[in-house]
Amino acid sequence: MGTSVQVTPLCGVYNENPLSYLVSVDGFNFLIDCGWNDLFDTSLLEPLSRVASTIDAVLLSHPDTLHLGALPYAMKQLGLSAPVYATEPVHRLGLLTMYDQFLSRKQVSDFDLFTLDDIDNAFQNVIRLTYSQNYHLPGKGEGIVIAPHVAGHMLGGSIWRITKDGEDVIYAVDYNHRKERHLNGTVLQSFVRPAVLITDAYHALYTNQTARQQRDKEFLDTISKHLEVGGNVLLPVDTAGRVLELLLILEQHWSQRGFSFPIYFLTYVSSSTIDYVKSFLEWMSDSISKSFETSRDNAFLLRHVTLLINKTDLDNAPPGPKVVLASMGSLEAGFARDIFVEWANDPRNLVLFTETGQFGTLARMLQSSPPPKFVKVTMSKRVPLAGEELIAYEEEQNRLKREEALRASLVKEEEIKASHGSDDNSSEPMVIDTKTTHDVVGSHGPAYKDILIDGFVPPSSSVAPMFPFFDNACEWDEFGEVINPDDYVIKDEDMDRGAMHTGGDVDGRLDEATASLMLDTRPSKVISNELIVTVSCSLVKMDYEGRSDGRSIKSMIAHVSPLKLVLVHAIAEATEHLKQHCLNNICPHVYAPQIEETVDVTSDLCAYKVQLSEKLMSNVIFKKLGDSEVAWVDSEVGKTESDMRSLQPMAGAASPHKPVLVGDLKIADFKQFLSSKGVQVEFAGGGALRCGEYVTLRKVGPTGQKGGASGPQQILIEGPLCEDYYKIRDYLYSQFYLL
Amino acid sequence: MASSSISLKRREQPTTRDGDQLIVTPLGAGSEVGRSCVYMSFRGKNILFDCGIHPAYSGMAALPYFDEIDPSTIDVLLITHFHIDHAASLPYFLEKTTFNGRVFMTHATKAIYKLLLTDYVKVSKVSVEDMLFDEQDINKSMDKIEVIDFHQTVEVNGIKFWCYTAGHVLGAAMFMVDIAGVRILYTGDYSREEDRHLRAAELPQFSPDICIIESTSGVQLHQSRHIREKRFTDVIHSTVAQGGRVLIPAFALGRAQELLLILDEYWANHPDLNNIPIYYASPLAKKCMAVYQTYILSMNDRIRNQFANSNPFVFKHISPLNSIDDFSDVGPCVVMATPGGLQSGLSRQLFDSWCSDKKNACIIPGYMVEGTLAKTIINEPKEVTLMNGLTAPLNMQVHYISFSAHADYAQTSTFLKELMPPNIILVHGEANEMMRLKQKLFTEFPDGNTRIMTPKNCESVEMYFNSEKLAKTIGRLAEKTPDVGDSVSGILVKKGFTYQIMAPDELHVFSQLSTATVTQRITIPFAGAFGVIKHRLEKIFESVESSTDEESGLPALIVHERVTVKQESEKHISLQWSSDPISDMVSDSIVALVLNISREVPKIVVEEEDVVKSEEENGKKVEKVIYALLVSLFGDVKLGENGKLVIRVDGNVAQLDKESGEVESEHSGLKERVRVAFERIRSAVKPIPLSASS
Repeated sequence: MGTSVQVTPLCGVYNENPLSYLVSVDGFNFLIDCGWNDLFDTSLLEPLSRVASTIDAVLLSHPDTLHLGALPYAMKQLGLSAPVYATEPVHRLGLLTMYDQFLSRKQVSDFDLFTLDDIDNAFQNVIRLTYSQNYHLPGKGEGIVIAPHVAGHMLGGSIWRITKDGEDVIYAVDYNHRKERHLNGTVLQSFVRPAVLITDAYHALYTNQTARQQRDKEFLDTISKHLEVGGNVLLPVDTAGRVLELLLILEQHWSQRGFSFPIYFLTYVSSSTIDYVKSFLEWMSDSISKSFETSRDNAFLLRHVTLLINKTDLDNAPPGPKVVLASMGSLEAGFARDIFVEWANDPRNLVLFTETGQFGTLARMLQSSPPPKFVKVTMSKRVPLAGEELIAYEEEQNRLKREEALRASLVKEEEIKASHGSDDNSSEPMVIDTKTTHDVVGSHGPAYKDILIDGFVPPSSSVAPMFPFFDNACEWDEFGEVINPDDYVIKDEDMDRGAMHTGGDVDGRLDEATASLMLDTRPSKVISNELIVTVSCSLVKMDYEGRSDGRSIKSMIAHVSPLKLVLVHAIAEATEHLKQHCLNNICPHVYAPQIEETVDVTSDLCAYKVQLSEKLMSNVIFKKLGDSEVAWVDSEVGKTESDMRSLQPMAGAASPHKPVLVGDLKIADFKQFLSSKGVQVEFAGGGALRCGEYVTLRKVGPTGQKGGASGPQQILIEGPLCEDYYKIRDYLYSQFYLL
Repeated sequence: MASSSISLKRREQPTTRDGDQLIVTPLGAGSEVGRSCVYMSFRGKNILFDCGIHPAYSGMAALPYFDEIDPSTIDVLLITHFHIDHAASLPYFLEKTTFNGRVFMTHATKAIYKLLLTDYVKVSKVSVEDMLFDEQDINKSMDKIEVIDFHQTVEVNGIKFWCYTAGHVLGAAMFMVDIAGVRILYTGDYSREEDRHLRAAELPQFSPDICIIESTSGVQLHQSRHIREKRFTDVIHSTVAQGGRVLIPAFALGRAQELLLILDEYWANHPDLNNIPIYYASPLAKKCMAVYQTYILSMNDRIRNQFANSNPFVFKHISPLNSIDDFSDVGPCVVMATPGGLQSGLSRQLFDSWCSDKKNACIIPGYMVEGTLAKTIINEPKEVTLMNGLTAPLNMQVHYISFSAHADYAQTSTFLKELMPPNIILVHGEANEMMRLKQKLFTEFPDGNTRIMTPKNCESVEMYFNSEKLAKTIGRLAEKTPDVGDSVSGILVKKGFTYQIMAPDELHVFSQLSTATVTQRITIPFAGAFGVIKHRLEKIFESVESSTDEESGLPALIVHERVTVKQESEKHISLQWSSDPISDMVSDSIVALVLNISREVPKIVVEEEDVVKSEEENGKKVEKVIYALLVSLFGDVKLGENGKLVIRVDGNVAQLDKESGEVESEHSGLKERVRVAFERIRSAVKPIPLSASS
């Protein structure tokens, strides 16, 4: 009856691998998230490669590698060609994240999974939506509406709502209900009773989240402690996600305490990141936009943080204690890895992790407890070729060039032969022929010579060669020569051109150094050597992941109370734990599919649409309850002119129905209500409420999650026959609507 | 028929003419330019678009006609952009009226709104005695204003709305409102032409039922942007090349930024001009630059691409100028200064000192308000009056090159043709221009399906929409799709304007509401034998079943299958039942009976004959009651022939068969009304059927 919905995880279930899920709504295939890890392990994408070509739309939720890293590769290599939907920050910061990943990788390996052009191409056609924008899908997806909503966690981070025929499928991973400095909390709890909720169990077992203030204090204390003894602090961070929150904390704190220790933010794209972030105020927390509205004070106008885009700048920085935020958070590549290796053996230094490292990475290894004393690290470096190698390389290049030229000339020859061949058969005018010949002469002189010698035979149908001649006939009428008014229009001197020209960089802004790195075509090679690094610096991990903790996740899901629930992205234990919890407390349909296991979460809900006739509605008296209104209807089915079912008033008397009390009684609220009416009330044991001297009132039956799926409430009121009894009963009735 | 509608109940009124009434009333900007404010009401929801001030008036006279409406009934107030004539009465409306709805505007609008109004208050403090609001009111209003992003859908009390880019100025929006499926588009000021920094107004993907559209430009056609820009730069270039000075009087915000962009780029492309300074003299504009430098996302792709290299609003060739004292007038220069009308201030000071030199030029770049010096010099008079009262010859060249971003006729008509709204309401235009536009639009939509209206201030236009109410039956009720004639009963839940029908026990599954059952247990002192109660109950109630309590083994009686009477102890009996009106009544009568037993000796039961007689009596009584109730409802009720009741209301006649409840009438409304009334009366006076609990 309902909309058919199938969910197939492609990656990231029963473990912490990147996220990628196939959700099919009435045959329309959504790929939600397209993540990869920092190791760029192609085996993770195998399930995706099998379905990539069938995907109709891609939805991205957060601007980090785990959520969108595989997009360029999938677009290039796996045949993914669907339109991509994301919010503006996810698009822009995602692009920068991928640039940073690529440039970091390129420095240490012959990275060839995708190129910068592939990244640009993948992100070029992202359709950008704003929060709560109901986007009606065109074409095959007719009738489906998608909308991103605030997720917290990262700038632009989205919960996706897919709606078809009034049924909601909600995809919410890595959300954060807590407000942060630069982000609002998620709006997940505003969705009630969706047909399907797909969510992660990532933090299901993680409960002791420290209060924000205390955490911030510890964070800053740890940092300042190390700085004061002359140590350096390294924070391995992501490119453009959680790092923004850290920057704001440091910035704020430095202003308050008047610290003079320098802070460096070092990624290949740091300055563009901050420039873009400055223009994303619409997407940030209320307090940030409010402070801008009232004082035009842009929170990301960083006064204490120096943005660096290459490591030499850091090396040239004045010596002394400093804080460095560098990518990647996994320490697998990027500046963070180099700095770690340099600083690890000084016990004064601190490496402060702000999130759990990806599985199997150096960061994760260092976070284990107890931390390792030594780590084996393969350090790779790209160096320009020199000496013999360079000569060899150049020779190789020349050889390749020659081969290429030869091949090109052969191809050209073939083409020309073919074109002549076709000329023989057709009676094309000579003009065209001369043109092609011109071309050939112009660009490939020697090749043409070859052909001439090889026996150039003029096509039999051609006339004698001559210069092209155009008869410039002009028409006359009684006013003289007929003119083309367009020739005399003031040329739209396109003043934009100059600007457009300078704006014609790749898609996004690239820093000069980055650009030089990109365009650096000097021959180079990668050399690697293995090092044993003694880890004597302090290693600290603090939670700045910006995800809701286990308890909040549970209450959030309970509040949303979906009809069906799909759990993804967590280790097996956490998944199982949350599954059991939800089965017991929230809803009977909880699924936790394996990779490539398709679960059918089509709602078994029956529904049909009817028109409510004016006649019927004029006799319905609504009662207001919260933000909805309720009424009882007795009606008879009829047909409208357009052959639609319509409800008409009953012709005869309606058979009486069992009265229904509608309302949600909270004992505590009722207590207050009674005492406001002058009745003495107090709580007796066992959740009972003693009203007056004799009457007691209690809720009986299963006390489930608030009003949730536990069924109707059972309220018992008892007492002796007395006036009070009837009075209290009347008060109780006043809390309900009788239908 | 609509006029003779029977006002049987007040609720009936709005639904009589086919559909619900939608009212649009301009409180300002109706056949005028200035103080935009349009009120709209449909199905009990009230919306106000814009809240402006008339720049030509001062004090209360400049406000829109707020007296026409009750501000406390307004659900939502939507502000399209920051211009004075669209937003300036907002602090007044928020702080000095009973309005307590919600206000929305875009991020950029809100940021500039504050700066602009604070400036407005400062400027008008000098001239106006009765201030409408002060700086504090503005600050307070900032807390009440909520922001909305383009395309973001917001729902308030069932009113859904979202906004589209409108062009015109930074942050300008067109609002689309959806109330129960009826869509209204309010364009505010809009422009369909992309310019240097703003996107063109979007074409909404849905066609609205009503389009409230600006008509500032009337039937005029604009020159293409490139030509205007060329004229602009040519005039400036030739003037400064000859050693002249160029004055551009402009309003501080909005179009000024566009002109600055043009100048900065032109200077960048013509290095020979680089030694000639450009000044813009407006502290307000300087403050707003931060806003322009931030909300790049609201601008067009061109700016966004430029932004990839450097922020285009960080000008390289333009320097700010705070006052005339900082200005050394030595040789050619370009100055953009406020106010745009040359009434006073810096632009006037410069004008006075430059107007007599024919090398100099003045470029008027936008709409001029009637009565200002800018409007006067357009006609190139020989002489002008200076601020000090002297007259001076007007020798400087005066050029009018309009950069005001209002849609011209071509844009308006294509826009409307794409949308094809069945109702067009023209606002924000000078009355004559508006009539011309209306006439011309009529020729564009000759099929007669389009209504074009030009209401004056406080003049309402009424439209009727038969918004079909659709409900979704879900859950158990929908297991079987019913055929014609089947009955459907359940709880109808209305949320916003969506309806759902469901079974009562599934209410908690499909909605946030929940049902409850209230079980009541009451103990009554009773010392007599339990058998007595049983006997007495049997006399009164049709169904009394005996059973024993499973736990205690004490005897119990179940009356009418709803109330359990149990002997708790020697001295007490208890009654237990689940609340509903009938059970409550049954239990009350049991209580009364039990109390009576304990008080007196039982009487002998009434004789059989009496029962029959009393039944007859009862029948009569019932008829009387029915008659009396009908009279109280309908007034003229008579007993007609063949025992039917004849009811007359407003000349319509209905005949009611008292036995079957059938009603005959020519008037279907009356028929329905009488039938329902009779149904309810009968269920009230007749005995309750036992089957009620099933």
